Amino acid sequence: MSDVKFLTREIGSLAKPSWRVKAFAGRPLEEGDIAEAERWGARLEVEGHERLVEGLRSGQFGEAELAEIDDWAAIYAIRLLEKVGLDVVYDGEQRRTEMYDHVAAFARGFEPRGTVRSFDNKYYAKAAVVEPPSVDGPQDVEEFEFVRAHTDRSVKVPLTGAYTMEDWSYDEHYSHEGALGGSKERRYEARRRFVSDVATNVILPNVEGLVAAGADWIQIDEPAATTKPDEVPLVVEGFNQATRGVEARKSMHICFSDYSALWPAVLELDDCLELQLEFANRDSRELGTEHDDRPGYADTLRLFKEHGYPNVGLGVLDIHSDFVEPAELVRDRILYAVETLGDPQRIQVNPDCGLRTRSWDVVYEKLSNMVEGTRLAEQVLNAVHAAPARARG
Amino acid sequence: MKAYAPGIYPRSEALVQATRDLDRGRTTPEAVEEQVERDFRELVSVQERAGLDLLSDGLLRWQDLFRPLAERSEGLDARPLTRFLDTNTFFRAVLAEGEPRLTDPIPAPKLPPRRWLATLPAPFALEHATGGEARAEALAANVLAPQIETYRAAGCARVVLVDPFLARGGDAGRSVQALAELPQDVPLALQLPFGDAGPVLGQLADAPVEAIGVDFYSTSLDDVPEGYPREIMAGVIDSRSSALEDPAEIGRFVQSLAERSPAGVSLSPNGDLQFVPEAIASEKIARLGRSRTELREVA
Repeated sequence: MSDVKFLTREIGSLAKPSWRVKAFAGRPLEEGDIAEAERWGARLEVEGHERLVEGLRSGQFGEAELAEIDDWAAIYAIRLLEKVGLDVVYDGEQRRTEMYDHVAAFARGFEPRGTVRSFDNKYYAKAAVVEPPSVDGPQDVEEFEFVRAHTDRSVKVPLTGAYTMEDWSYDEHYSHEGALGGSKERRYEARRRFVSDVATNVILPNVEGLVAAGADWIQIDEPAATTKPDEVPLVVEGFNQATRGVEARKSMHICFSDYSALWPAVLELDDCLELQLEFANRDSRELGTEHDDRPGYADTLRLFKEHGYPNVGLGVLDIHSDFVEPAELVRDRILYAVETLGDPQRIQVNPDCGLRTRSWDVVYEKLSNMVEGTRLAEQVLNAVHAAPARARG
Repeated sequence: MKAYAPGIYPRSEALVQATRDLDRGRTTPEAVEEQVERDFRELVSVQERAGLDLLSDGLLRWQDLFRPLAERSEGLDARPLTRFLDTNTFFRAVLAEGEPRLTDPIPAPKLPPRRWLATLPAPFALEHATGGEARAEALAANVLAPQIETYRAAGCARVVLVDPFLARGGDAGRSVQALAELPQDVPLALQLPFGDAGPVLGQLADAPVEAIGVDFYSTSLDDVPEGYPREIMAGVIDSRSSALEDPAEIGRFVQSLAERSPAGVSLSPNGDLQFVPEAIASEKIARLGRSRTELREVA
């Protein structure tokens, strides 16, 4: 048996550096912002970061300067993900406003409606669909090409899924008329049409463009996947329509959801490499690889085991906490997953979700420990596999 | 026919910005509190202009439906972030230990006595939020009852008990039992937001409450039993849609509902208006009031 080796990846977003945020908002940069650019540039060994620092000190940001700052933010994020040792990287979605707004602002058919609270003092912008959504061409090819040109690691492109776009939008087109007191079937059919239009006319053109540009791994993000459990088949239809005929690795990320609602519908996903899920948020912080030690993993991993498809992207970092998971905790979460599934080939490793709500200092520590913990798990597993061979020898 | 808007109301763009600034250390808690007060005065004004019969404070300081009670009770604490139903919003699930007991009731809002309504989680919803660790009956008796007493003493005219989980596979029989632990000297309503109430309406006919709140954007009119013995608090404003309701369509719908002879009909949103931005919510309240006015004129 060959050595066990897990791929370590991020999921998507990182916080935007304050120098990028303020420059784009037209707010004056303070010395602390510039010091951060300097500190991280040095820490991440970003080649030529002195030019960024010099530019930031000038305080004059026209269109060309802002474009350069955008590039620098992407490079910093790529370097951070490389520096902590991830096998697969992207740019921390530095150029995107937010996963929903990024698409809604680009596609035709959506109109902004305002701000809605997600939890506590966190908010998101929400749009309404007012006509069938469509695009003139792929949205993220330039972003991908920039990343591709600035790293030699594997690249995975995160894209917001059709169902989440549907679920997070107000509907002023598909189901408005006759909604009051109407039938469940009518509401479901309206949502199906909305999902199908986004998948086919917005996401698929982007996926096709990315793959034509050389992308070989597309991650469809569907955090809304199980919010209406009886609509999980729509999530699956949206994934299949958005990736139809595309020759690339395809996976799906879901988080903060009731995963028991995913099966059996997800068995119909076409050629989906894995589901990257959030687990750590619901797990204990104590070490251990016994069933009772890992309450956040047990039930969902059993479903992966029972159904045998797809594979699992194991969330091992809680993205809503500054708690830095020790490498040994990451190790134990992976070992428990391997024990439960009985096959390390079905597991790869990632944070629960994008890390954009954490500071870069916390992200750096968390991801470093994730990689270290993954290597520890590999050592344990490979030692176990190697032992009988040595004994036989 | 009365109209009112219980639940959590959206924050204004100014309050959104103030709370964001607070999290980033750019403003003070006092400045945020001043903006909350401005939002509160504006909300009262919006409701008065719409002619609503009972006023709500919009729970503008509430982070979610459960947290204020969790923070003011012994034996309850708020921690894991949990998705709220089928929305892109989250609440902190409630950790329960021992015998939870309210120690510091939420103060009543500054609203005219007998003209305001309060919103609280229903006992069964609070049990659900604890993951079943605390029993609904005990939570009703030791946490919700003293809170309702505080509101009663301050002139509350109706307490709307919100249960987002009951219409999604909850145990209506147990919900009714737990409601019996609550004081009955303030009129109570049990609201089932964002769910198909059809399957549980029959069992709730005996609930010790004055009204049952039904979301008619998730529940078919045909699912309301003929001759229903409780007032229907009709969720005719869709709190999860930016589309603005047509008062004439609401009027036609409510007349059809009234023909099924429930023990009365009142009008409300189908859940917290916080799921739409504040500018849309205020227009929805205006249309709620207009619907009520037009129905009164028809009557």
